[in-house]
Amino acid sequence: MKTRYAAILVASLSLSYGCSDYLDVNTNPNAPQTVTANLYLPPMLHWMVTSPQYDGRFVGHYTQEWYSTSTAVSPELTWGRMGYDPGSDNGAMQWRDVYWSLGQGLIDMNTKAQAEQRWDLLGVGLLLKAWGWQVLTDLHGEIIVKEAIDQSRTAFDYDTQEYAYQEISRLLDSAIVLLQKTDGAVNQAYLAKGDHIYNGDRTKWLKVAYGMRAMMLNHYSNKAAYDPAAVIADVDRSFASNADDALLTYPNANPFDDYNFWGRSRNNITLYRQTQFIVNLMNGTQFPGAPDPRISRMLSPAPDGVYRGLDPNLTGFGALATGVQPNNFFGYAGTGGLGLPGRYLFDDKAKIPLMTYSQLQFIKAEAALRMGDQATALAAYTNGISSHIDFVNARNLDNNQSPPQITATEKANFLASPSIVPATLTLSHIMSQKYIAQWAWGHNELWMDMRRYHYTDVDPVSGTEIFRGFTAPTTLYGANGGQLVQRIRPRYNSEYVWNVAGLNAIGGLAADYHTKPLWITLP
Amino acid sequence: MALGRVMRFLALTLLACPALAAGQGTGIIRGRISDAATGAPLAGVSVRVDGTTIGALTNSDGTYTITGAPAGSRVLSTRRLGYAPQRVAITVPETGGATQDFALGRVATSLDEVVVTALGQTAQQRSLGTAQQTVQGITIAETQRENFVNALQGRIAGVDVTSTSGIPGASSSITIRGISSISSSNQPLMIIDGLPMDNRTMNTGVLASDNNSTQAFSNRGVDFTNRASDLNPEDIETLTVLKGPEAAALYGIDAASGAIVITTKRGKAGGGLQYSNSFRIEKTGAKPELQKVYGPTVSTTAAGLTSFSYFGVPYAPGTVFYDNVDGFFRTGSAQTHNLSFSGATTDGRINYRLASSSDKTVGVVPSTDYSRINLTGASQAQVTSWLNTDVSMAYTYDNNDQVYKGDIGPLIGLLLWPQNDNAKNYLTAAGTRRLLTTLGAGTEQDNPYFNIAKNKINAKTNRIMANVGLTFTPISWGNLKTNIGVDNYTNTNLILRNPDSQVGNAFNGMLELADVLTRNINVQTLLNFNSHQLSKSLSISGLVGNAISDYRTGADALKGQDFLDPNFVSINNTNQRTSKTTLEQRRLIGAFAQAQLDFKDYLYITGTGRNDWTSTIPKGANSFFYPGINSSFIFSDAFPGIRRFMTGKLRAGYAAVGKDARPYAYRPSLQYKTTSNGGYGYDFYGPNLALKPEFKKSFEYGTELGFLNDRLGLDATIYRSTTRDQIVNDIRGSYATGFVLFNLNGASTRNTGLELTLRGTPVLRNAFSWDFQMNFDRARGKVLSLPHALPESYVSDTWLYGNVRNGTAPGLSTMSLTGMYYLRNNAGAILIDPSNGIPLRSSIFIDRGYDRQPNYTIGLTNTFKHNRLSLDFLLDFRRGGDVFDATDHYLTTHGLTMSTLNRNDPLVIPGVLKDGKENSATPTVNNIVIVPAVQTAYYTNMSEELFIQKNVNWVRLRDIQLSYALPEGFLGTKNASAFVKGTDLFLRTNYRGLDPIVNGNSAAVGGSGGTGIDFGNFPMPRGFNFGFRMGL
Repeated sequence: MKTRYAAILVASLSLSYGCSDYLDVNTNPNAPQTVTANLYLPPMLHWMVTSPQYDGRFVGHYTQEWYSTSTAVSPELTWGRMGYDPGSDNGAMQWRDVYWSLGQGLIDMNTKAQAEQRWDLLGVGLLLKAWGWQVLTDLHGEIIVKEAIDQSRTAFDYDTQEYAYQEISRLLDSAIVLLQKTDGAVNQAYLAKGDHIYNGDRTKWLKVAYGMRAMMLNHYSNKAAYDPAAVIADVDRSFASNADDALLTYPNANPFDDYNFWGRSRNNITLYRQTQFIVNLMNGTQFPGAPDPRISRMLSPAPDGVYRGLDPNLTGFGALATGVQPNNFFGYAGTGGLGLPGRYLFDDKAKIPLMTYSQLQFIKAEAALRMGDQATALAAYTNGISSHIDFVNARNLDNNQSPPQITATEKANFLASPSIVPATLTLSHIMSQKYIAQWAWGHNELWMDMRRYHYTDVDPVSGTEIFRGFTAPTTLYGANGGQLVQRIRPRYNSEYVWNVAGLNAIGGLAADYHTKPLWITLP
Repeated sequence: MALGRVMRFLALTLLACPALAAGQGTGIIRGRISDAATGAPLAGVSVRVDGTTIGALTNSDGTYTITGAPAGSRVLSTRRLGYAPQRVAITVPETGGATQDFALGRVATSLDEVVVTALGQTAQQRSLGTAQQTVQGITIAETQRENFVNALQGRIAGVDVTSTSGIPGASSSITIRGISSISSSNQPLMIIDGLPMDNRTMNTGVLASDNNSTQAFSNRGVDFTNRASDLNPEDIETLTVLKGPEAAALYGIDAASGAIVITTKRGKAGGGLQYSNSFRIEKTGAKPELQKVYGPTVSTTAAGLTSFSYFGVPYAPGTVFYDNVDGFFRTGSAQTHNLSFSGATTDGRINYRLASSSDKTVGVVPSTDYSRINLTGASQAQVTSWLNTDVSMAYTYDNNDQVYKGDIGPLIGLLLWPQNDNAKNYLTAAGTRRLLTTLGAGTEQDNPYFNIAKNKINAKTNRIMANVGLTFTPISWGNLKTNIGVDNYTNTNLILRNPDSQVGNAFNGMLELADVLTRNINVQTLLNFNSHQLSKSLSISGLVGNAISDYRTGADALKGQDFLDPNFVSINNTNQRTSKTTLEQRRLIGAFAQAQLDFKDYLYITGTGRNDWTSTIPKGANSFFYPGINSSFIFSDAFPGIRRFMTGKLRAGYAAVGKDARPYAYRPSLQYKTTSNGGYGYDFYGPNLALKPEFKKSFEYGTELGFLNDRLGLDATIYRSTTRDQIVNDIRGSYATGFVLFNLNGASTRNTGLELTLRGTPVLRNAFSWDFQMNFDRARGKVLSLPHALPESYVSDTWLYGNVRNGTAPGLSTMSLTGMYYLRNNAGAILIDPSNGIPLRSSIFIDRGYDRQPNYTIGLTNTFKHNRLSLDFLLDFRRGGDVFDATDHYLTTHGLTMSTLNRNDPLVIPGVLKDGKENSATPTVNNIVIVPAVQTAYYTNMSEELFIQKNVNWVRLRDIQLSYALPEGFLGTKNASAFVKGTDLFLRTNYRGLDPIVNGNSAAVGGSGGTGIDFGNFPMPRGFNFGFRMGL
């Protein structure tokens, strides 16, 4: 009988097995919930540089940097006609990355950096925050700022672009203060663990902050508040040479994700080809008598050696027959080039810039010219072209592609041409050359430039087009109602599905919402 | 916490048990038990002395011996599945023995049948207040389906089985009473011998390639077996479906979608050696008709084809066409061999069963096969008068080769390939893939012959399930039963994307190896209280119990890409490798009790309660209790006057059952990012620290009626269940939250339905009998609300073709399809673009009333027996329910279907122009003439809704079998029989695609999944089997 009771006792004890600890197995063993502050940085820096390239596939159709030869409807017949893809997230990568890839992680990083007095990291953090609002508002106009990154909300109100610009300004001012600090736990080695752009050098980031502020202030060119002197002052405190360029290196260690977005392996623009517009800017058509030495390093000839571009009004290669179709951007016919060296920005390992010295010099030139300071404008403009020629050479060495470098003589001859560097500089020179310098990477700023000058504005001095030779497609996307594109609709799967009320309040549900001009481009 | 209190209570209850009656003299009882109808001896009948635990099982000759029976006046009772129990008073002398024989009456499905219920208990049908239905193991085995889940369609009212495709080893999903969960699994809990069995289908989310959107399969292009198919159908003794929470409440949170309770075979005295086999050939016949008039679209500027579109000039007269489809399929085959030994000691105290089985299926699609080996052993022993043991072990090895499906699969490739080109000629002289277009290897659809020859999907599984059970009977009024089980498997997967193939070219080949290791441990303890007489007419019985589960599954995935040698398949041959490990753990504790009041054997009231504690819900909310109550009233016994005409029972039940979240659902975690220079960033999932369990509350009412001495029976059930606070996984929100996906409470769904089972024996003569059973099922699921009033919820994997997905919204069916359908005016007319005459499509996902849920289904089984010959067949009917024929849409947009032949006929699309007057009283009727051949946007812009076929009906002959029982002793055998059988021989349907039973995803996908989305799926082949079974 004792045995039976013992059996019952054992069974009963097994029942009363404690459950509190036993159930404590819900901490995800596959990933941490928090990490040191600097470890949040690498993916955010990656996206800051790379995300604009994703959207650049589509923005590049608006700005006629390139056209797709794909037979599919999109992007050619939608983006290529200044429209959009309904129900698609195309053109909303930066929306994803600002709200999600940066999103809560950036807040966590900044909170930690602040608590640990890591002013250098916090400065970079605020700069990232400013960058996010800047690219988003420039692409989309009204965006969600005040209510952003709040998991308790399910509906979000949009803020005006004016508010977004104020917020960007505030964040950059703070970043500039913080990045000058050397007290607290400012530590280059610590920052370097997450920063593979400048290896933790806060002084370089300080220059980026000034550069971003210069760019932001320069967007006010249509407004009464425009202050070109402030723009020039910030440019001068920013990059001093190409050595300061903010460039992201792609390690090519992890298939795809850390390959250059424009590399052949990523296969993102294999079917894209240059437009006749960019060809004409560089082949001596728009700058007569001065064929650009960069054309053979940046653009692709057809197999017959002639540089041709696509006509946006024709589908695919249009009238170009097989033998005279331009090669792909990697320098090969058709879909060739897999595993082979690319050229310029179109190589698996080519570094992609966030911002360049050359770009800033053109901003300075524009501001100076608008102030009436020809000498400053001319110097900055010449710097801009010269440094971009160096930039092209550098990119063609990023993966030891070893194409013929542009020689000093070629460069000097080019800059000596009055067609390129005239006695009297005009906005048309500055903006068209800035276009070349930003072609294929600086899509956000490039499109902002075009919108600030309403795509086809004419230079008040010379009477030539600001963007020489640019013509909008004759047939625009159906919903445009004949208007040129001014903004991209907010991300479909974020907003059109889940935040309709918020969109409705800003008129975002209209089929032609993308043609509504931005506040910043209005007087 | 509460659990502690419950445990203390349990312990006290247990320890407070009264001492046993004082010892007294004992005697021996012997007897023989036979079938009342045939007089044949009955083996395996349990005979017990009431009020004690002493008893025995009958041997093969029907005899039993009970030793140590306490002397005095006793009651002996018998129990055997399928037979009515009997109770007989007997006097056991102080010394010597007594003899008591029984003749037991077989009960088809009458109220007195002993049936398996929740927790592996047995009960009389009359006492059940809930709906359940049983299928005998032999019926399942005789369907000759390697995956027993496929045998259930049509055999049980309310059960719906969807096989993903006709490829061997394809996953099958099973749902009971429709879809109630929008995003989580709707599949029932599988219970084998009292403990849960894992029935997971591997989700592609564990693959390393799924981290990259350009490489992810997202449960579309590949399929893996659902793990319940590891079970050998020959090992199943009975399978009982507990249909709703009312019946399954005691199983707790995993049984919110019902439970399938399987009892495996145990040894029987005289079982001896049993051998059976089956040989099978399979054919597939269905293929869509393609137009052979218009040739491929040819570019004016490029040499060669630029796509596989067929909007070009007509084929030249005399063009040679190749029947690429016909030569592709082969005759499939299968063979199965089953061998078992079983027996028992003469006193019936120990029995054993050893079985082995091998199954090899070669599919009709080349390169597909499935083979399985099962080894099982089980033994029961009566160790002492108070201890019984039961042990079973099952080992399974299976090896499955599948092919890709959907747009990367060979079927689409087969249909798309130019008919004037011989697809069999798929290699160039250099031995590389022969390309026809200028698209490049990464974009051109794979030649189907190349695809199956060079790509590969292989899965191998080694699985062991062990279950040890102990039953202590130290007391006269109850027993304590403990089961401990381990379900352990290693599932090794290999997925090869050939460097030349469409799916592999961009990566210069990719090989993925993924090992899934699952180890589930379950412990369940029950304290049963035997029936206790409260008064002359009222008795009570019950149980308390506890269950502890520890589920752990880990996946180690390794992906290699960039092949050095394009043909050598090894990860060592790859240049770039990435890995991913996924570990998932979940633990549960449950405590439960049941009490049943029995009034005069005609009124039963049963109350149940269970409390669960789960690891996947935040502390504080992770303990939840739910009650259940049901009642059974045998009105034909309460009013014996009725009994002359019929037997009848009414039942009603209510139960609530909670359900937890998946592991790690409420706290966001960081992800190691593979973007430049690594680092950490948040995963897609946002936090939800307020996550709480969802609750399903369900009512059911039913009746079981028997007429004409039970020759005709009807079992009817209606139910209505509501799930509140439903956890919706992966629901999206504005990215402004900082995240992409959330797991939120807040959906509610309602399911209602009617289940009818009509059975009858119209003819019952010595030489000839005819039995039939008809199962009717009508189920409805409706979404009442979504979290935070979000407009739509869908499972992203189901957005697999065009712009249609399994989206649902409040007011819609749980099986609706949303899409970017045509825009329409208020009167429902299609809006036409005034600039080109082509219809305008919505830019957001909208509802147009599509519902994949059938109006009803009927399974009709007939069995005819004439002497030694028997014929049975199962017809499966379905009425209503929509199926999206994406394959047809795909082929139409490529100009291949017959419906595109009139492309040169000018036409005006019926509709009204969107000119601002579309919603006025006088909209402008479209009068823009288009010629589809010129404006191919007519085809390419066609809304998928034109290809969602409404109200798809079918009649299919699932199984038909003719078997012949050989004379006893034929060639020294016993119970020998031979059979011929056909499966899926016949399908009549108004569906215009290949087969309306399809799943565009796999059984791994939650919610309503990809059921009813037909895209590039191979249909079930027709099969013909023959074989025999015999004993020695």
